[in-house]
Amino acid sequence: MAATTDRDSSSASGVDWDAAAKSPEFQELLRKRRSFVVPVLGFVFVWYFGFIALAGYAPDFMGESIYQGFTVGYLLALSQFVMTWFLGWLYLRQADRVFDPLARRAAERAVKPAGTAETVDRGEETS
Amino acid sequence: MAALLPLAEVNVEAIAIFSVVVSITLAITYWASKRTTDATSFWAAGRGITGVQNGFAIAGDYMSAASFLGIAGLIFLFGFDGFLYSVGFLVAFLIVLYLLAERMRNAGKFTMADVFSFRLNERPARTAAALGTLVVAAFYLIAQMVGAGALIEALVGINFNLAVLITGIFMLTYVIFGGMLATTWVQIIKAVLLMTATIVLSLIVLGKVGFNPVELFNRAEAQADDPSAYLTPGLRFTEPVDTISLGLGLLLGTAGLPHILMRFFTVPDAKAARTSVVWAVGLIGTFYVMTTFLGFGARALLGEEGTTGNVDEAGNLAAPLLAQSVGGGEGSIGGDAFLAIIAAVAFATILAVVAGLVISASGAVAHDVWSNVVRKGRDSEHEEVYVARIAAGVIGAIAITIAIIGGSDLNVSYMVGLAFAVAASANFPALLLALTWRRFNTTGAVTGVLTGVVSSVGLVLLGPDVSSNPLELFGVSLTQPAIVSVPLGFLGCYLGTVLSREESRAERGFNELQVRAETGLGAEIPIEGAGLRAQAPKRKPVTAARDEG
Repeated sequence: MAATTDRDSSSASGVDWDAAAKSPEFQELLRKRRSFVVPVLGFVFVWYFGFIALAGYAPDFMGESIYQGFTVGYLLALSQFVMTWFLGWLYLRQADRVFDPLARRAAERAVKPAGTAETVDRGEETS
Repeated sequence: MAALLPLAEVNVEAIAIFSVVVSITLAITYWASKRTTDATSFWAAGRGITGVQNGFAIAGDYMSAASFLGIAGLIFLFGFDGFLYSVGFLVAFLIVLYLLAERMRNAGKFTMADVFSFRLNERPARTAAALGTLVVAAFYLIAQMVGAGALIEALVGINFNLAVLITGIFMLTYVIFGGMLATTWVQIIKAVLLMTATIVLSLIVLGKVGFNPVELFNRAEAQADDPSAYLTPGLRFTEPVDTISLGLGLLLGTAGLPHILMRFFTVPDAKAARTSVVWAVGLIGTFYVMTTFLGFGARALLGEEGTTGNVDEAGNLAAPLLAQSVGGGEGSIGGDAFLAIIAAVAFATILAVVAGLVISASGAVAHDVWSNVVRKGRDSEHEEVYVARIAAGVIGAIAITIAIIGGSDLNVSYMVGLAFAVAASANFPALLLALTWRRFNTTGAVTGVLTGVVSSVGLVLLGPDVSSNPLELFGVSLTQPAIVSVPLGFLGCYLGTVLSREESRAERGFNELQVRAETGLGAEIPIEGAGLRAQAPKRKPVTAARDEG
């Protein structure tokens, strides 16, 4: 039940982790994930720290009224909320459509290195 | 109007509402205690929490009284600058979602340290991770306990020490008897109560200005001490570097909070883990938009009377006073009832957060230090849970004692800031590198966590909130350490790794960790069944195969 024993018992299950990590299916999963996560988080950093830096260095600009006293600062702050909700939804969509099928194939390859077509049963998926 | 709050007399309505909420949570704890028998049920609620339930529980775990009353108060006092906190607290969940949630679920078991121990030398790496967990939990817990005592004293009229003691006793009852299952349901109930109260109060406030938020802004601005500055940044944070440092600490700190990361071990699979983050983001974001209306509402409708002067320099009572006012004012039935409801919700809010903190700290002590470092995995599961319950009791007792000795004079806001700074500087770099950097090794994890803890705590101690002769960096004395301590945490991980010998085990273990973390193999896909049996298994329940071993 402690982590050491877990690891031993699962290593004994015969999965060749090194081969699994090198398999083309797994490498494709890593590549797809990286090419989605890195640009999105890059955008988040730019948009978020851009907002924080403007608040720090350009308070007058942030205080400018857009509509009857509703300021640039509040508009940009609300855009952070919208960004978070949208990118949360986008991640779920990407994971369901792209990452999960790839992960399933990589896992199948790991437990059946010979590449036989038997499917790993993932059980009931909860949503 | 000066004495808006019944500061001295006991608020009977509030206690009545408390009692109802507390009775329900105790009934749940009794129910949960029957199901809390082994380590997986104690720390991970048997991994049977659904994605939606976990989303509510994360929201309940995360939105502390500091968010509910504190941010409304900060917005009331400082206008725009108060809102910066809300933005940071929310956007931070994108880091959790994109980098950690699913990987934690797939690779970890009960604690952050489980992820380290996959590939690093177990004893030093676990000890370092447990240290990071305990430091964050300690600062956060003490801050919450002091906040609880002060708020309950002000809102309900019972003495500070007694209030801290009552909070501590309920917190420990949930954790010790009901484990993670009871903690989770307390958090879900709290999230529902808090969202409901905040939405209703916001709608009432918006109703007073014809449901026109811009009108609310304008009326708040007109009531401010310095109307021209109120809707503009700079009232609280005068140094831009400090603002950016705060932003960095909030963004990365959430991804290093042990009680939030622990929630991902309670769901059955990675899909539920990511779903729960998105539910949490929806709830928490809505909540922060509403707190804006509360903060501005208090300013617009109460003006300077939204605070009771030196009793409440942090503005914590702005939201309760607003509730009392829109309910009909002091002494009216509606006003008293509204104040009592907000007080009860604030109490439930605190209980849910402190329970989450104590259970994560008990994991660091019992699962990491006791079971795997001291006993080297030779203890029984029964012993591990037994030690966890004792650890929870001891941690709770220490927090209660420090909160009572420190009293209401302890500066709560800098302690919460410190918890986030340590989480961002010590826990987040080591965790991220353990999951993504092949060369990372044990020495790197230990030096990284230590550098992060020492630099963030040190900078706060040398900073203007504590020191009378504060250290100056970048030409300013920083109140927020993250801009220095986060890079130092990463640097500590990097230097510790490259300056020490390569660990072949850490690099070999990386393949296993990576495959498990990315695919869920071994966590949601049972390896034994798939790998060893001649035929693929029929419907296997989705449970962590490693737990069944």
